[in-house]
Amino acid sequence: MSEREQNGNSGCTRRQFLKGGVGVPLAMALAGGMVTVPFLKRADARGFYLRPPGAVDEKRFLGACIRCGKCVNVCPYDSIKLAGPDAGVSIGTPVIRPREEPCYLCPDLPCARACPSGALDSGLQEIEKVRMGTAVIVDRENCLSLRGLRCEVCYSNCPLIDKAITIEARHNERTGVHSIMEPVIHREKCVGCGICEKTCVREKPVIVVQKTPPKLEDHYEF
Amino acid sequence: MSFKRWTAARRSVQAAVILLLGSPLVGQSFFNGNLAAADLMGLPLVDPLAATQAVLASRIVVPAFLVSASAVALFYFLVGGRTFCAWICPVYLLTEAGDALRRRTGLAGRTAPLATKKWLLLIVLCVTVVTGLPLFEILSPIGMFARAVAYGGYLAISCLIGIVLVEVVLSRRIWCRSLCPLGGFYSLLGRYSPTRVWFTPSRCTACGACARICPVEEVLEPSLGRGELRVVSGDCTRCGACVDICPHRALTMKSFARH
Repeated sequence: MSEREQNGNSGCTRRQFLKGGVGVPLAMALAGGMVTVPFLKRADARGFYLRPPGAVDEKRFLGACIRCGKCVNVCPYDSIKLAGPDAGVSIGTPVIRPREEPCYLCPDLPCARACPSGALDSGLQEIEKVRMGTAVIVDRENCLSLRGLRCEVCYSNCPLIDKAITIEARHNERTGVHSIMEPVIHREKCVGCGICEKTCVREKPVIVVQKTPPKLEDHYEF
Repeated sequence: MSFKRWTAARRSVQAAVILLLGSPLVGQSFFNGNLAAADLMGLPLVDPLAATQAVLASRIVVPAFLVSASAVALFYFLVGGRTFCAWICPVYLLTEAGDALRRRTGLAGRTAPLATKKWLLLIVLCVTVVTGLPLFEILSPIGMFARAVAYGGYLAISCLIGIVLVEVVLSRRIWCRSLCPLGGFYSLLGRYSPTRVWFTPSRCTACGACARICPVEEVLEPSLGRGELRVVSGDCTRCGACVDICPHRALTMKSFARH
């Protein structure tokens, strides 16, 4: 007590200060660094997380999302889930797993409007401007339509039917007499809702939503 | 003073917070969110530290977001800063439980310095700026608690059990006293808050009951010892335990008091 009083107002000796104010925080910073480095994981095995409509680009999204879960609670279809601890730095952020439940594109976008921080753009009004990702047929060998059957389930369920997915008929060389009705995805129209991925009839979906590839600047004339 | 007025009020608020965090389970509509951000009966609430990190990390500025965060910060400034810790934060409830458990087992009575959490706040903000990730929102046990209550998940729950265990065997209330950057943030607000615990020295018999019950006993000692009339430190959580325990009513909680 008397030692403290001699040290004036701070009530803290130099040794206490160095230990408590510098040594301990430094040790904590090192320990924290060791915890966080393996933690700096951004994407899942597919290379990206499908975010709710209106999400800003992934890097800024991870910064702006404060993991409050409001978008999860307002989603009427329970399509939006909270990422778990296996998601690394994405823990607690909203993700859509289309095969479980895709985004059904509510006209008023309640999830985007619920977001307080701007991680989801609450000013987004038009469904057709949503860009969550892009559908891609990843397994052409197993696509029934491409094998010559009249499946086309992805096409007929697409909310932007005849815009984001169209059917292009061509001659079936294998049988010689039939047609192949090929679902063709138009990247500039696809919103990435994942309904095609959900409804694909194969056990493992042959059409999945992926990260939208960047537009390449080039000089080719088509 | 057998009825613990402040403690009873505080327990009610803590219970209400847990119920609100669990309320998504029953699908009600008056509360949506967690302690980072929420709508409570249409009122948008935002944790000021979460907002600070989000803006530093993403450089996205949403005016309504910052207004809500500032309003919440102003509220906590007026009611005492770390009032958040003692009255709202569910992790504080956990470390209180751990503290009670520890007192029965008689383990780990030592404490770590209070100032560490302000350094950790600084580290969190620096990491947030450098990496573009809101570090505390990723690692926060407060967020984990909210997720554990609302959505379950074994890892979140085991993390909470971990906090209680650390509390029992390692150091008394180490998370809330010394480590939590959010507590560090609110202690900065509490340092200048108008709501404080005041002393009436003429009634004090120096029995020491208040210092024994205080979770951050360092804040009482210099004031009692040096004849200050109020608790000066921002680390005071305004839990009211000292006011409740004092047998001579020498302590009171007051806002905007002169003496």
